[in-house]
Amino acid sequence: MQHPRSYRLTFPLPGSSATPSVLRVRPVSPPPKGPDSQAALKLEPRELWVAAHLPQLAVLALRKPGDTRPLVVVDSDDHNQRIIDADAQAQADGVRPGMTLAAALAAAPHIEPRPRDATRERELMQHLAALACEFTPQVSIESPDGLLLEIKPSIALFGGLRELCRRLRNVCRADALLTQLRAAPHFTLAPTALAALAAARAGARCFITDPAVLPARLKPLPLAVLRWPEEHIARLAAMGVRTLGELLRLPRAGFARRFGPQLLADLDRLLGKRADPRARLAPRERYRGALDLDHEIEDHERILQALAPLLEQLEQFLRARQRGVTALQCRFHHYRAAPTLCTLRLAAPEASAERFACLLRERLASLVLPEPVRRCELRGGALRPLSLESRSLWSPGEHGHVSTGEMPSLVEHLRARLGAQALYGIRRVPEHRPERAWCMAEPVIAATRPDAGAPPCPPRGRPMWLLAAPQPLESQRGRPRHGGALQLLEGPERIESGWWDGGDIRRDYYVAKDVTGAVLWIYRECDGARHWFLHGIFG
Amino acid sequence: MSANDQRLQQLLAHPSVWRGRSRAAVETLSTGFAALDAGLPGGGWPRHGLVEILTPQPGVGELYLLLPVLAALSRTMPARWCTWVSPPHEPYAPALESHGVALDRMLVVRPPQGLAPHSSQGLAPHSSRRRSDGVHMILWACEQALRSGACGMALAWLPRASPRAIRRLQLAAEQGRALGVLFRSQRFAHLASPAMLRVALEPMKEPGRHGARLTLIKSRGGSRVPIDVTWTAAAA
Repeated sequence: MQHPRSYRLTFPLPGSSATPSVLRVRPVSPPPKGPDSQAALKLEPRELWVAAHLPQLAVLALRKPGDTRPLVVVDSDDHNQRIIDADAQAQADGVRPGMTLAAALAAAPHIEPRPRDATRERELMQHLAALACEFTPQVSIESPDGLLLEIKPSIALFGGLRELCRRLRNVCRADALLTQLRAAPHFTLAPTALAALAAARAGARCFITDPAVLPARLKPLPLAVLRWPEEHIARLAAMGVRTLGELLRLPRAGFARRFGPQLLADLDRLLGKRADPRARLAPRERYRGALDLDHEIEDHERILQALAPLLEQLEQFLRARQRGVTALQCRFHHYRAAPTLCTLRLAAPEASAERFACLLRERLASLVLPEPVRRCELRGGALRPLSLESRSLWSPGEHGHVSTGEMPSLVEHLRARLGAQALYGIRRVPEHRPERAWCMAEPVIAATRPDAGAPPCPPRGRPMWLLAAPQPLESQRGRPRHGGALQLLEGPERIESGWWDGGDIRRDYYVAKDVTGAVLWIYRECDGARHWFLHGIFG
Repeated sequence: MSANDQRLQQLLAHPSVWRGRSRAAVETLSTGFAALDAGLPGGGWPRHGLVEILTPQPGVGELYLLLPVLAALSRTMPARWCTWVSPPHEPYAPALESHGVALDRMLVVRPPQGLAPHSSQGLAPHSSRRRSDGVHMILWACEQALRSGACGMALAWLPRASPRAIRRLQLAAEQGRALGVLFRSQRFAHLASPAMLRVALEPMKEPGRHGARLTLIKSRGGSRVPIDVTWTAAAA
């Protein structure tokens, strides 16, 4: 058991002007034990946390564009229907969180009570987190209304701490959804996550990079910002402890005995004396967006215009993750008819809204809508790593520029308009039966060098064209005819194979020339009626 | 030769100057047939531009004519593809491979029949515009392939096309630096066409020989007598 006085040295006393240098040079006696206390002496920020707090999240989540009446959020699980939160207008009328609904209605009869929507709150926070993902991968949501970003590694990338914070604020200001809800997240910066969060919840200005000044700056904050259980806060208040400064002055041992080691650990995390790792927010793996249209539209160009904001959102979603999608689905909802689906498949992962719009234009052109569209929904497919490459200076064809990057876009472009089945590559299959010696394949879009060596000995004397199905030929006294009598040039070549898989054939193939000079590949069945068939053209 | 003459000769040798009787200096690809190379302006197929091959019916040897250039183009690096737009039958992979064509670089496009045309109206299209959909789609796909820069060559089988559509293809081929080959029926031989080179192909009817007689209907300074080209078709 350590003496409590030894720890009081590490906290600057209230009112004292302890500078970091003084703290650093003064030997603490007795020396602190354990790695956590060691870390407290090393007064360099190991981490820098930005906290974003969305004040009145419960109200924001329920706010709708046309609202005029004061909005209060009611806890629907509580039988007294207590008020959780109220907007500024309602608060001005005397409604306070914690009141029962009956009391609130008595105070302000014109308020509009709505049950809390936790799902929507989560969505809002996720939206904010998605914006923050642009700045750092270490983003976590502090439920319900806080967001934490560890930005130390990103500082150099964004040209300084101030510039990064400015850009973060600007991104939130420019965001359409947040603007529409009139939501203004409050940002703070501190060397520990909990300190940043506490300051953000208090709505205090906080831009601290030096861990040494942290305790002094946290001093005036009220205890409520810690979000500890109500009874602890009440007990501390009874002890005369109302601010963080007063709390930090309490002896550790006594504090731990009264309130448990958990809260003491919280305090240590607040000051950076204990590691506070946060789980990274796993980004949502699929994009989903929907848009209700103001009026029904049936014009392709207008639909595309309506989809533009969703495509922008999709691009933002993908860019923040450095991912692309290879599939995209649009659902157009109608008044009566079932939703029309429009699926776009891409040959290579893509993240550009402009490109999506270009392909959708082609795809929409061939789409027949049963009714006008009331609502558009956009769903992105699974995320794929996006290969980042620089664009070519020359456009294709210019200055002899040849790039293989055009092939995927050509394939996508053609597929968007003609459908996925309209495009295929061809491949040879080692097989004796002519109709099975080739197959359709996915077009090869990788620019690999074709094998220069000899091909693995495909059979000689095969026609350039194969008919989709053998075409029966008429015959005269056993001689085949096609337009006129056919002149047999070569043959027969007996192909007999496939007895094991049901596709059994026994045929004698001949090369024949017809009266027009076309060279044909014909065969005669070896069994049964010995009919003649046309199977290929040498053309 | 005087200095003026020399300067005149230099000027006339410029690729963009073409005189009725002269052979224009165009970038060409060897056809693989010595007789044809000698007859064509520049000594081969144009490197980029549009070529029309007119045949009495499909499958009389027009593909054999192009096999050497197809094989050569499919093995170039950096990779460029060859697009077959709306071929009359299935291109048979074993035969192409045995002639040295890299199958990886082949792309077959079959525009579906009866697709709605490009219109800004989303509801069911008018039937009057539906008739020409197939041709529109073929022309569109061919133009995209030629223009994209990804294809070194595009082969298209067209039932019919207006001179304006062919002009578009010719421009697309020049822009994308690709060789476009249109296979059309002999019926269109008398109609004007903006294609760079028009070749009428007549198969040889003699039993022993495989080959074709080629007549250059339109060329910038090519041979005016028919060219006989022979190949070893079936026995290849």
